[in-house]
Amino acid sequence: MKGCWAIAALVAPVWAASGASACGTCSVGDPTLTVVGFEQPKAHRIRTSAALRYRSDSIGESDVDRLTLGEQRMELAGAYSPTDRLAISLMMPLVHRLITEVNLAETSVWAPGDLDLRVRGVVWRDRKFAPRHLVSLTGGLEFPTSTIEYGPEGQPLPLEFQAGTGSWDPIAGASYTMFINPWSVYVASVAIFPTTGIADTRASQSFRQTVLGQYQPWSFLAFQLGAEFRIDGPGYIGGVRDPNTGGNITYGTLGIVGLPHEKLMVHATAALPMIQRLDGTHREGFAFTAGLVYDI
Amino acid sequence: MVSLPHCMRVTEGIEVDVAYQPEATPAQIRTDMGYRVALSRALIVVGKVELTRCDNFVGDLWRTIAPARAKAHVLDTPTSLGVPLVLDLMESAGTAELAGTLKPPPGRYCGMRVLAMPADPDAAGLTDENLEMMQHSVLVAGQVVDTSSGEELALLARIWEVFDCEILFDRPLVFDSPVLETVSIRIDHTSWFDGIDFALQSAEAVQQLITENIRSSLRAVLSNGQDGL
Repeated sequence: MKGCWAIAALVAPVWAASGASACGTCSVGDPTLTVVGFEQPKAHRIRTSAALRYRSDSIGESDVDRLTLGEQRMELAGAYSPTDRLAISLMMPLVHRLITEVNLAETSVWAPGDLDLRVRGVVWRDRKFAPRHLVSLTGGLEFPTSTIEYGPEGQPLPLEFQAGTGSWDPIAGASYTMFINPWSVYVASVAIFPTTGIADTRASQSFRQTVLGQYQPWSFLAFQLGAEFRIDGPGYIGGVRDPNTGGNITYGTLGIVGLPHEKLMVHATAALPMIQRLDGTHREGFAFTAGLVYDI
Repeated sequence: MVSLPHCMRVTEGIEVDVAYQPEATPAQIRTDMGYRVALSRALIVVGKVELTRCDNFVGDLWRTIAPARAKAHVLDTPTSLGVPLVLDLMESAGTAELAGTLKPPPGRYCGMRVLAMPADPDAAGLTDENLEMMQHSVLVAGQVVDTSSGEELALLARIWEVFDCEILFDRPLVFDSPVLETVSIRIDHTSWFDGIDFALQSAEAVQQLITENIRSSLRAVLSNGQDGL
């Protein structure tokens, strides 16, 4: 039972973390939930995780101004729970972006992304031991640790070419988790409020809603099915709205989780855009995540 | 914040440098109708230059139906340059004037379309001496001498209309991988007065014939030296 909860808690939020962003560089969802988990925190527990993510994106009109983006991220994270109601996490991404223009010109960027700090507190549980219902609140902040890439004339490149927004971005959210062996359900809402960053650019405010169900027929293996909805506000460049920002998108997600050792968990999740109502000429593509989590 | 290590690598894609190259202006131009033309002024404003796809049937059909239109500072696209440029053919004789660099997507391109139109106030090459080019696409001035009679006529052609010129390459440009190509658009204004009987034809007819001659006087020369039609 405990193993089941651990898997659900660790992996369910993966797609809250990795759904593609409406703009090229917005951080997405809550990548630190993978390491924090959404089960009841265990006092004095230290947990680490590593994840690889891929996503694709295209902005602009075909044969006119289209940019095609392929992004890989390696995220290293650590979390500590001082009490059984609180968990604190730090996540640092290393980002590789390959941007292809309509004339086949390519820009490849390797750079650190924005450091992500989150604090999650359990505000309600139905019982102290092995709770079946948990309600949590989350607060966080993205730090502008990403480097800024410049063009040949010394001007900062557009956000699509940057590994992060370069802004201080507060984060707030809430989640509910239900555990009924062998099923578990996770529902989370997260909002991100970017401030002005690189080149006087303000990334979109974003609200994400995750709904995920997990079925764990064996103690060492679980399957997940879910959906992630995201709605973005407009992004601005120098006070002018970027027409290819804003709108909403819904992903369908499918995942598998393995527990080869009591301290180690591996996971993989694929996501496919099901409904795209993004503003301008913006399309998001298939995304994939794989990683492992280790309890120290 | 602390500057962390990072790197960026840029690989150039398909690029086409476009330049205008007027022919040198001789002291006198002998026409096929037996006239000698001595030019004192010859200017043309190029408002837009565009690569045309080989298979752009719908676009070609539309352009056949629709008249050419002027748009102030047409925005650049991967296949077009929209910044107007005033070319003084008397001064830029034989020298290439770089129009810009196109960054087209992969495909087959069979020619270029050049749009002549009046200049914008911020057009490149617009000076106090040629401000009237804000009202004209082409301006030609000089003297015409009828070699059979010795009669001398003043030549002044002010073409205000917007018109486009289709130029075909002698071979398609096929782009399927990053490459740098150069296209030089040759402007041979020594042929602008062929077929014109200055003594008999009206000023309007002369201007119309000059416009037609301008259309046929442009050639595209690719970087490998193969001339277009």
